[in-house]
Amino acid sequence: MEFVAQQTMNALSFGAEYALLALGLAIVFSIMGLVNFAHGEIIAVGGYTMVAMAALSLNNPFIVIGAAILVASIGSVALERVAFRPVRYADPTTGLLTAFGVSIVLQNLFLLLVSPRPIAVTSLYFLEWPISFAGLRISSLQLFETLTTIIVIVVMMLFLKKTVLGLAMRAAAMDFEMVRLTGIRANRVFAAAFLISGLLAGIACVFIMARRGSVDPHLGFDPVLMAFVACVVGGFGSLPGAVIGGFLLGAIEVTMLVLLPQSLGGMTDAFVFGSIALLLIWRPDGILTPPREKGDKQ
Amino acid sequence: MSLSRSQKRGLVGASLLAFVLIMVGTIATYFGSKYQLRIVYGSYVSLMVVLALQVFMGNARITNLSHSAFMGIGAYAAAICVTPIAMKKISLPNAPWGLNAFALDPVTSGIIAIVITAVIALLVGLFIVRLSGIGATIVSLAVLVIVHSLFLYRTDIFKGNQAFFGIPQVFTLTSAIIIAVIMVYIVRGFKESRWGIALRASADDEISAAAMGVNVHRLRLLAWVLSGVLLGVAGIAYSYYLGTISARPFYFNHVFLTLAMLILGGMRTVTGAVLGTFLISFGLEWVRWLETGPTVLGLKFPEVLGLSGVVLGSVIVLIMALRPGGIMGDREIEDFILKK
Repeated sequence: MEFVAQQTMNALSFGAEYALLALGLAIVFSIMGLVNFAHGEIIAVGGYTMVAMAALSLNNPFIVIGAAILVASIGSVALERVAFRPVRYADPTTGLLTAFGVSIVLQNLFLLLVSPRPIAVTSLYFLEWPISFAGLRISSLQLFETLTTIIVIVVMMLFLKKTVLGLAMRAAAMDFEMVRLTGIRANRVFAAAFLISGLLAGIACVFIMARRGSVDPHLGFDPVLMAFVACVVGGFGSLPGAVIGGFLLGAIEVTMLVLLPQSLGGMTDAFVFGSIALLLIWRPDGILTPPREKGDKQ
Repeated sequence: MSLSRSQKRGLVGASLLAFVLIMVGTIATYFGSKYQLRIVYGSYVSLMVVLALQVFMGNARITNLSHSAFMGIGAYAAAICVTPIAMKKISLPNAPWGLNAFALDPVTSGIIAIVITAVIALLVGLFIVRLSGIGATIVSLAVLVIVHSLFLYRTDIFKGNQAFFGIPQVFTLTSAIIIAVIMVYIVRGFKESRWGIALRASADDEISAAAMGVNVHRLRLLAWVLSGVLLGVAGIAYSYYLGTISARPFYFNHVFLTLAMLILGGMRTVTGAVLGTFLISFGLEWVRWLETGPTVLGLKFPEVLGLSGVVLGSVIVLIMALRPGGIMGDREIEDFILKK
């Protein structure tokens, strides 16, 4: 029983991390059709901000967390302005390749300007302590991560449903031309999408850093790879799909870790990606993709 | 068999490219130092990969990220077959299925490696061709990750990140040039064949092409398997020259490097593939030299590790922003000398 509860918690916290990142990818994709592979570098930007904070001997955890999230959001908006504006109306492949390019540039800039080696960040260790609850022992970090993700999802839902900008963003996902015709500025919608995406990456960064305790130039690569897969599984561009895909992926990963015998330990990735590939072959457009016939207006 | 006008032009274009390849190779063979020869050989292997990539990406217009995995499959399959038994007893003492108890000649090993790569490409392709756009790209990414973790996991067969050594070094630069030239003819031939034309039409408008009787999935599969075979050959050329392979070169870095080459030149043309490969291979070599902090005209430059990555990424971003079609766009080499 305790084992099951513990593994469920593991799956939830893995899933929460993937869902946060997948949401950030999905909100950008739904509006401009860009698969933002540079999302992982935004996470690394957050991590390096924490290093900078430590160097400035600002150790108040709230300042560190706030600064990381703030800088990640600004970084994300800056990327839109500098790199992604020229390919705004291009096809997804062009956008994908641009994002790859941006990601390579940023990774190597970290390597060049900071250090190729991991740098320890100790200011977030306070987030982790064991909690005993109804005879179960769980980690506080996992609890925080799951709860934060749920709160973020609720806040985002309210934002998208209740505000004008949120409405504009939802409309932009369906027909961007129409949104512009109603007098809403395209630039503002794009900036908002990237801001939210950076905000989510910043929040995810806090948990990733609390768990790993160090930052290196490739920090964001693996989490974003998984977030991508989560997006694809959920149906690219669908926000509920991204959340469901994220949690599903977390569940698959933990299941594989638990079920695979010790001797196959190194093969977890292969099995996770294998099951994802099978899922995609069964539902080529993901679980929750908006119904769309070939030839419909994109 | 009579050739159509575009096929004749294709023949001219392929011959021009073949001429360039032979010239560059010959100059390198006679004037290059041992180190330079290695670089030139490396760029010819990259060229094979980029040409193979062009067959699928250029005609079906679906971004493929699994190509390095297929190159790896070809390289490892050939290496396992061709390495002498005495060598394999040392490097692969625990290999299953008697893999370390036989050795074949290079030609047979090469053929076996190509067949293995083709069969795996066919099996993967059956799934990939049903998807389109981003979905297909992500599944190809999954293929890359799966193959790479197999290489890392089965250390008893592939040795993972350690070196698989003792492969007979039977290839020289001349062999690479010959293979690259043959590939240029194959790739251009496919582009101008009726299958290539139908596939390119389906990439422009899948529904109309299907309505005209084009079997889109089957053509994509054909291009995919052809691409896989050529990648297998590139892998063989890689292992037969270096004599040592490991899993690391067949992963993300290589994927992005070769992708950047194809994008820079222009993925829709064979000329673009050749141009992009040479520009990036030789350009990066120059940047790597800058990276080490050389002294030029008495000026000491600082050491800047990571510069080559920044340059590579910037090339991709700039090309996508300024010329999404690459340098060549839709033009092939013969368009510069023949009338339209």
